[in-house]
Amino acid sequence: MKASFNINNSVSELELNPNETLLNALRNNGFTEVKCGCNEGECGACLVLLKDKPVNSCQVLAMSVQNKKIKTVKGIGTLHNPNLIQKIFASTGADQCGFCSPGMVVAAYSLLKENSSPSNEEIVEALDGNLCRCTGYVKIIEAVKRSAIILQENKVEAE
Amino acid sequence: MLSENLKWYFPSSVSQAVELIQKPGVILHAGGTRILKTQSKNIVGLVDVGNLKLNYIKFKNNSFHIGSATTFNDVIKFSKENNCLKMLGAALSQAASTPLRNRITVGGSLKDFPLWSNLYAPLITIDAKIEIRGDKSGIYSVEEYVSDGIIKSKHIIKEIIVPENENIIWKVKRFALLKFEYPLFNIAIAFKMNGKIIEDAKLVITGVKNRFKRFKKAEKFLTGQKLSNNLSDEIEKFIEPKFVSDYKYSASYKETVAKVYFNELLSEIIRENL
Repeated sequence: MKASFNINNSVSELELNPNETLLNALRNNGFTEVKCGCNEGECGACLVLLKDKPVNSCQVLAMSVQNKKIKTVKGIGTLHNPNLIQKIFASTGADQCGFCSPGMVVAAYSLLKENSSPSNEEIVEALDGNLCRCTGYVKIIEAVKRSAIILQENKVEAE
Repeated sequence: MLSENLKWYFPSSVSQAVELIQKPGVILHAGGTRILKTQSKNIVGLVDVGNLKLNYIKFKNNSFHIGSATTFNDVIKFSKENNCLKMLGAALSQAASTPLRNRITVGGSLKDFPLWSNLYAPLITIDAKIEIRGDKSGIYSVEEYVSDGIIKSKHIIKEIIVPENENIIWKVKRFALLKFEYPLFNIAIAFKMNGKIIEDAKLVITGVKNRFKRFKKAEKFLTGQKLSNNLSDEIEKFIEPKFVSDYKYSASYKETVAKVYFNELLSEIIRENL
């Protein structure tokens, strides 16, 4: 069956089964920037923004979010047109294998949209649903802090 | 695995939703996290509550009214600015992770009393009520809702009602080895205070035999007492939670941990408020 979704500010008709998760529906229809990690809502690799809030797309039944605003990491920035947060993740060394990075960027983006100068605790809380098995989180937290500082210096939102 | 022939319904009113869930194998869908965890093959239809306008927090008639489709994170955010809901906010903050709390709803965590629910213990201690629509429509205390067979009726939870009370001191704690694990049990303690005198005490644990336990002897003992350091030791004899052994933990292990947690929480609550 086909259903209509609002993904990255454009309407997309996705082919899907009624029992399918948003993660599978997205990946099976070309949105492979959304990664499948644990498939149990624990690792955060599949994070997307649903109505501007981060959710585990593996824990969302796709049919329930038809026509709702969905943003994947590519809606935040792309390889050739990266968002400031993505640039800072790269320059800080906050990604190693890179598998968790899309989810981390989505979580960081969501946090900085809501809170332009988060404390360490607030950063840790915002990233509490994202697991990384390479970096040990130090660089990731540093990247979020640096992003916040640069966004504030430039007086811009996390766009 | 959920059926590939799953049928979705998107009612626009609570009464339509109630009608739809009368069909065998048709259940409510809010955040969907529990449905995806259980993956029951017996589910033939899902009634999405997204259009029922049950995502709200209002204050009226000296109570907070929290719609059943309100997510944990929305409650947590709201609770930061409202002292009466801070206990609830603290309990819900302990659940899962930020992205999951953006999906887990109040109603989904109450329906059918999942043993890991972080909601029941604090709700009982603060005398919250649950409004349901269905075969047994009405407003019930949480204990009535659980104990009187109402929970098994075909119904939809409309909202929870939390009375305003500024003079409550409280503590909540869950037991799980990892943050992502479902808790084995949840504990909530609340004292309604008049100066340093305990006017009313509630001590609740969930995850035990018969779903939850209120320690009424301890509550009776504490009522009317002045806060003092020795209270936590004095009520130890009244705290006797009964658990069932499972593949991971024996009942006696859980009982011991629960007793220690109660003692710690009581000591903390007293220390912080003396």
